[in-house]
Amino acid sequence: MGLTGAGAFPRPWAIRACVAVSLLVSAAWPAAAPAADVTLSSKTYLLYSRNDVTGGAKEKFLPLYEYLAADARDLGGMPLSFHFYGWGRQDLADDSGRGPRSGDIGSAFLLYRHPTGNAEARLGRFFLAEGTAAETLDGAFVKMRTPVGLGVSLFGGIPVEQSISGTQTGDSVYGGRLFFAAPGFAEIGATYLREKGSFAGDDREVVGGDIWLRPGLPIELIGRAAYNLSTKALASERYVLRITYIPRIDIMAGYEAYRYRDLFQTALNPAFLGPAIDNDDKVRTMFVVVDLEVMKGLTLEGAVKSIRHDRIDPGDASRGEIGVRYAYNDRKDTAGLSAAVVTADRDDNEYTEYRAFATFSPAAWRFALDALTHRYKTDLLATGSRDEYQVVASAGWQALSNLKVSGDLTYTRSPRLKEDYAALVKASLDLGAATGGKK
Amino acid sequence: MTRRAAFGLIAGTALLALLGACAAVSPTASVPPKHPEELGPGRTDCAECHSDLSTGALKPYASFKHSSVFVREHGLYAAQGQNLCASCHGPSFCQECHGRKDELKPNVRMGDRPDRMLPHRGDYIVQHRIDGRLDPGSCFRCHGNKNDARCRACHK
Repeated sequence: MGLTGAGAFPRPWAIRACVAVSLLVSAAWPAAAPAADVTLSSKTYLLYSRNDVTGGAKEKFLPLYEYLAADARDLGGMPLSFHFYGWGRQDLADDSGRGPRSGDIGSAFLLYRHPTGNAEARLGRFFLAEGTAAETLDGAFVKMRTPVGLGVSLFGGIPVEQSISGTQTGDSVYGGRLFFAAPGFAEIGATYLREKGSFAGDDREVVGGDIWLRPGLPIELIGRAAYNLSTKALASERYVLRITYIPRIDIMAGYEAYRYRDLFQTALNPAFLGPAIDNDDKVRTMFVVVDLEVMKGLTLEGAVKSIRHDRIDPGDASRGEIGVRYAYNDRKDTAGLSAAVVTADRDDNEYTEYRAFATFSPAAWRFALDALTHRYKTDLLATGSRDEYQVVASAGWQALSNLKVSGDLTYTRSPRLKEDYAALVKASLDLGAATGGKK
Repeated sequence: MTRRAAFGLIAGTALLALLGACAAVSPTASVPPKHPEELGPGRTDCAECHSDLSTGALKPYASFKHSSVFVREHGLYAAQGQNLCASCHGPSFCQECHGRKDELKPNVRMGDRPDRMLPHRGDYIVQHRIDGRLDPGSCFRCHGNKNDARCRACHK
C-alpha cells in the first residue's frame, strides 16, 4: 500500500544549515510581516494498512504523516519569497521494522524574482530542472535573460542525495545553462553539469542540449540530449514532434534512445549497475500519443510505444493503450475508462491492464472510486497468482472553507499480496491569503 | 591549472563579458508570480482565455494545454523554465511526485484524485519488474541517482 522504507537524513548539518540560512535571511526583513503574503498548507495522514504477503509474514502499519508547505511572498515589499516543503512520519504501531520515525525537508529556499526578464535567484534547498539538469541541491541558482534573447543560468551547491549502497554520493555539484530564446519561435539551450564524487570511479560530468522549435506551423519540435563526458558517449536523447494549436486535437510522436553504460554511469542505485543489468544494452523507443476531444468534456486518449533492445535478453516489447474520459459537473468531476496491453518477445514481460474511475462532488462533498486490474501472462513471482486487483473508495467533506477531511479505503490483491486492506484518514488545512490560481 | 580548467575560466569570463555587453536583464515584464484569477477545476487550457505568448515561457499559451500529451511531456517544457508553471502551481507542486525519499506514493496521498495521471498505481512492486527490464531509463530519471530507500530491500 505505497509504504516505502526510510533511511537516515542525508547530511543533517546541511539540512540544518539551509533551513537556518533561509530563516535567518527571511527574518532579516523586519518590515516583511505586514506586507508578506503568507500561506500555510498542512496535510495530515493517518494510514492503517494490514497486508498478507504471499509466502511471508502478515504485516501491520499505522503511520501518522504530516506534510507541511509554507510560502511567504512579498517579503519586505520586495519580490522576495521563502518557500518550505517537508514531511515527517511517526509510527503509532510499528510492525514494519523500518524505524519508528522518518522525515525529509524537500525544499527550504529564498526566491528572488526580478520584475523583468524572468530573472531569478534561489538560495537554500530546492528542486532544480534546468536543461538536462534535474537536481535537488543545497546551494544557489541564478538565471537571467538579456534583451537580445540570450540568457544564462548558473547553479552550484551540495547534491541532496543518499546512497543506498556502498556507492559514494557526490561532494559538490555545479553547472549552468546558456540559452537563446526567440519568443514564440524557438528556444535552444546548452547545459553543463559536473558532480564531484565517485560514479563508477569517475565524476559525473554531462553536457546537454535542449530545443523547442515552432516553425510557423501548428507543430512543435521539442528535444533533449545528454552527452556523458566521463564515458565520452551520447548518454540519452529524446525528441518529440507535437501537433497542437488545433482545437480539440493534440498529437505527438517521439523517439528516445539511451545506452545503459553511458546513462547509468552516474547511478547510485544498484538496480542500474552491473551485474544487475547488461551495460552493453541500448534501448530505442518510438511512441505516439493522441488526445482527441470529440465533444465538450469528452476526450479520447490513445498511445502506442515500441521498445527495442540491442540485446536479445530482455527482448523487445510494444505497449498500446486506449481510454476515454468525461468531465462533468462544471468540470469538477471526471469519469474514465482505459485499457492497455503489452506484447513482448518474452512471456514474462506481457500483461493487460484495465482501469475505471469516477468522481462525484455534490456541494461540500467529494466521492471517488478507482478500480484497476492487471493480468500478467506468467506467474511472475511463482506464487500461483497472475492477477492483480485494486479498488480505492474515497469520501471527503469540505468542513470549512480552509479545512477538508476525507477517508480512503483500499483493497489490493496481487501476485505479491494475498490481500491488503488499507484505510487512510486525511485532514487538509490551508491557511493564509488568497492565492489566485493556485492548483 | 589544467588546460580544461583554464578553458573553463576563459569561457566563463567571455560569457560574462558577452552578457554584460547585452545590457543585463531584458526589460520585458516577468510573468506574474500568481495567476490573477482563481482557476476552475479540471484540466487547464490556457487558450480558453489567452491567445498570445506567455512572457514567462516565451511560448504560446496553447502549448500548455494540460492534455494527456502535455502531462506526459511536461518535463521537456519545465526544463526550459518554470515561471509560467509557478503562476498556478505552488512551489511544492513538483515535489508531490518528484520527491527525493517520499514514503507514500502520490496516488495514495491523492486517493480522491483518480483523474490525475499519477505514477505507480496498484501494487506496482510487481509491475516494476517488467517496466524495469524493458525501459529502465524511464525509472532512472527519478530513482537512478536519487535516494530511494525501498530499492534497498532487494537491490543490494
